[in-house]
Order: sequence, then C-alpha cells, then structure tokens
Amino acid sequence: MITLKEALTKSSEELEELKAELEKKAKGSGLNAYVGFESSGEGVPILVKDNIQVKDWSVTSGSKILQGYIAPYEATAIKNLKSKGMMAFGRANMDEFAMGSTTESSFYGVTKNPHGTDRVPGGSSGGSAAAVAGGIAIAALGSDTGGSIRQPAAYCGCVGMKPTYGRVSRFGLAAYASSLDQIGPITQNVEDAAILYDAIKGHDDKDSTSADFEIEDIANNLNPDVKLTIAVIDDHISQADTDIQKAFASTIKALEKAGHTIVHKEMSNTKYDIATYYILATAEAATNLARYDGVRYGTRAESNTTEELFFNTRSEGFGTEVKRRILLGNFVLSSGYYDAYYVKAQKVRHLIRDEFNAIFADADLILSPVAPSVAPKIGANEDPLEMYKSDMYTLGVNLAGLPGISLPVAKNDEGMPIGLQLIAKAFDEKTLFNGAASMEKAVNYTK
Amino acid sequence: MQIDHTVLTKLEKLSHLRIDESKKEEVMGQLTEILGYVDNLNELETDTLDASFSTLEGGTPLREDLPRAENDIAKNILAHAPESQDDFFIVPAIIE
Repeated sequence: MITLKEALTKSSEELEELKAELEKKAKGSGLNAYVGFESSGEGVPILVKDNIQVKDWSVTSGSKILQGYIAPYEATAIKNLKSKGMMAFGRANMDEFAMGSTTESSFYGVTKNPHGTDRVPGGSSGGSAAAVAGGIAIAALGSDTGGSIRQPAAYCGCVGMKPTYGRVSRFGLAAYASSLDQIGPITQNVEDAAILYDAIKGHDDKDSTSADFEIEDIANNLNPDVKLTIAVIDDHISQADTDIQKAFASTIKALEKAGHTIVHKEMSNTKYDIATYYILATAEAATNLARYDGVRYGTRAESNTTEELFFNTRSEGFGTEVKRRILLGNFVLSSGYYDAYYVKAQKVRHLIRDEFNAIFADADLILSPVAPSVAPKIGANEDPLEMYKSDMYTLGVNLAGLPGISLPVAKNDEGMPIGLQLIAKAFDEKTLFNGAASMEKAVNYTK
Repeated sequence: MQIDHTVLTKLEKLSHLRIDESKKEEVMGQLTEILGYVDNLNELETDTLDASFSTLEGGTPLREDLPRAENDIAKNILAHAPESQDDFFIVPAIIE
C-alpha cells in the first residue's frame, strides 16, 4: 500500500481508483476491519473509527444501541483533515463504545489480525489497526482512552499515536471517558503519523478542554538524527513476556547505537494505574452513556411505559462489557462509596502524573512496552479483570494526559509483531515524533 | 467489597439496566473480583492531595457564554429519532 505521504501527491482520478481498489480488497480480505464504506469529502481516503462523527454517516460506536443513528454534524478532527487534502472513507470496527482490548465486543463481530487470522487485532481501535496493517487502508483514525490506539497498533505491526490530552478536539468523538479520550492516527510509518496528527490537531472552541497553544508543524520538521535521553523502567519490563523483554533489550541497544543515552528509572507498580483507570473510566462512562435511553437516537425497544423504554432499550442495546462498566461506574459514584473509590482514584491521578514529571526532569522520553504479550488468540481471554490487567503499560499515559506513540520493533518466533511505545511530557509531540523517527530508523523493522 | 443481590439490584436501578437472572451470579462474582483488586489504592497515602484533577495547566479555560444556534442539527436529530413529531420526541404516555 502506498504511504499517506505518497498518496497526497496523487491526482483526484488516481485517488478515485485507489478508493475503488481499497473497497474491493477490504471486502475480499476476510479481516472484518471495515463496518461500512461510506465516503465524505475529496482527497486521500482516511479510514475512520466508528465513534467519530462524519456528517450524515451512520456512526454507531460498534453498538446495537446506535443502529439507525445518523450523525447530525461533523467532528472537528474530520473537518480539519478535509482541509488538508484528505477525506473520510469507511468506518472501522471497534470494541463497543471503545471498551475493550480485543475488538471482540463489537456488534459487527470480531476483526482479525492480518499477521495471524486466529488472533485478535487488539482494541479498541482494532479495525483501524488491522486495516492499515493488512494493506486495506492508507491510514486511519482511532481513539485512545486507555491504550486503544497504541495497543492495536502494536499487535498489528503499525504505528499508533495518542496526542497530549487537549491537542486534538474531542468535539464529535462519542464520549467514553471524557477526561482521558483522545483521537489520534494509526499509520504505516512515523512520518505518516506526523502528517495525520498535524492535519487533525489544533484548538477548537467547541471542546472546552482543547488547549490553546501555538502549534508548530511536526511532519515537515521531523529530525531522526536528534540525540535524546530516554528513560526505561526496569521493574515494569520484568512483568512482560520473554518475547517482549528480548525485543525491549535489543531496541535499547539500537537506540544506544544511534547515539541516545539510556537512563534507568523507577515508578510505582502498574497495579495502581489499572485500579485508578478502571474506577475513573467506568465512572465517566456510566455518566456519558446515560444518554442512550431510546428517546433521542439509535434503536428503541418495545415498551408500554417510559420507565420500561429506558430499561428495555439499554438492556437489549448494550453488550456485556459495556453493561459491566456502567454497573461498576455507578457503584464507584454511588452514595457511600464515592469517597472511597472515585475521590481516592482522582487523588492517585496526581501521584501518577507527579511520577512521570519527576522522570521528565531527567529524560526527554520514556521507552516502555505497549502490552505484556503479543496479540492473543481470539476467544482466549474471557475473564474481564485479566483483560483489564493487560492494559498495564498504556493506562498511565492517559491518566497523566501525556502523548505516546507505539511503533513496531520486532516479530516473535511465530511472526507476530511486537510494538514498543515512547512517551513524552505533555505537549512535547515534537520530541516524541523525533524520537520515534530515530527509533524507527534504528530498529529497521521489516513488515 | 462483596457485591450481593441487594447491591446489584440497586446498581441495576441506577444504571437503568436489567441483568438476566441466569447471569447474575457471574456478574456479582466479576464485580466483586474487580472491586477487590482496585482496593489496592488504599495502600497509597493521599490525604494531602486535591480531589480534582486537570492535565491542563491552570485548569479548563473559561469563555464568554454567548448564544449560538445551529437549528439544522436539532432538526436533523429529530428527523432520525426513533419517534418524533414537529419539535418533539415521542415517548410512551407518562401521565394517564
């Protein structure tokens, strides 16, 4: 598949042909990465996760409850990319309401990993990552609340980037956990990620948490030759599978050879990230998802009273994982438990951010695994707590609001990709992308 | 924290969700297990920390509260609602 950079030089006729080819290939791929082939705008086709509003599209967050919903407006990220020679083309499969790490909870069925079709592509932006890795999308948008861009990118062997909280407008992104959600790019390489990130970022007065900072162009100033200080957290790495540890060790060597300085740092156990995230994200989700009641949008269940309408629509429309998180969220917010769970977790968020800040006083970037293993087999993990624990390396970045980028560094003996992530301090996307460009060059990953 | 039938019934009510009878035991077990795990936060000292959190320096920016009408959006939502008439969503009768 041609890169996003190359595609931006093509004529409109060539792009029309490319779109037709993408649709044909996607339909024959058997990956189930696309859940629709809608088209909006003119330019290079970008696949859009099914939770980002494109006006007049049926945007459903991978859920039964939103069947029949038509987006009445356009997300700012979509408006922005349309002004940069790109268009929205197709909806990507995802875990229902972005709640999951495997894309198995989608109303549209599971998406398969192009590197091993008996394996999950990761989640929740599994359709976006599988399509880019499978050569059926040039680039895609995903959303990352607890790792949902970086983890599927790592499982599928492509690049996935989560911007600093506030860099990309959340206007038009179906809310899961509003204090953590960010839209970001999933691409074939680091430069494409920078191009797509540049295209969607920027202040937006329709998002009250949008940062109003001066923004410099990243893609045109990318410098892979910069020498950086990169921190590693030894205690965290020892919790990953041997495959991941081996890839981590060889990446460190490659980075040192490229002239970077590696420093060893400590951080608290990731079990606190997992606990904090699953309290706060479910609390915010319970609140955000209260709007789906069958009155205003999506599907409505048969009912004789309004009370029944709420209960029936939600009980029939939401899947198991979404229900579990709503129940949990309402528990941690309920009278008698609010202080012990919700308030406690909000306080711990300060500790997590302070630990990151302390490391960034001595280092430009942190290198970390993305997931403790390669992509698991479809159906392998049915225990929710075990699935939550597999998010151990990605959650802290969202809780502290930092930018992170996942890129492939190696394959294990079974040919499954291994991705590692770089993390930067808030709003330092420039250093993040420079470090990623350097690491991409240093590890020389073969697809 | 043990989630029993009483707590689950309360959560179903708060969530406007009904859990199938056949799945209740499993759901109670999972919620209990997850809440048992997140109790690990009690190992951390947090008494002096602020209960509010923002990643944005100086908190969320303020803006003038100016009226802005995008009537097409409202019309569009009503047109695609499960049931609507004129400027209203139709729901089952609330008052006899």
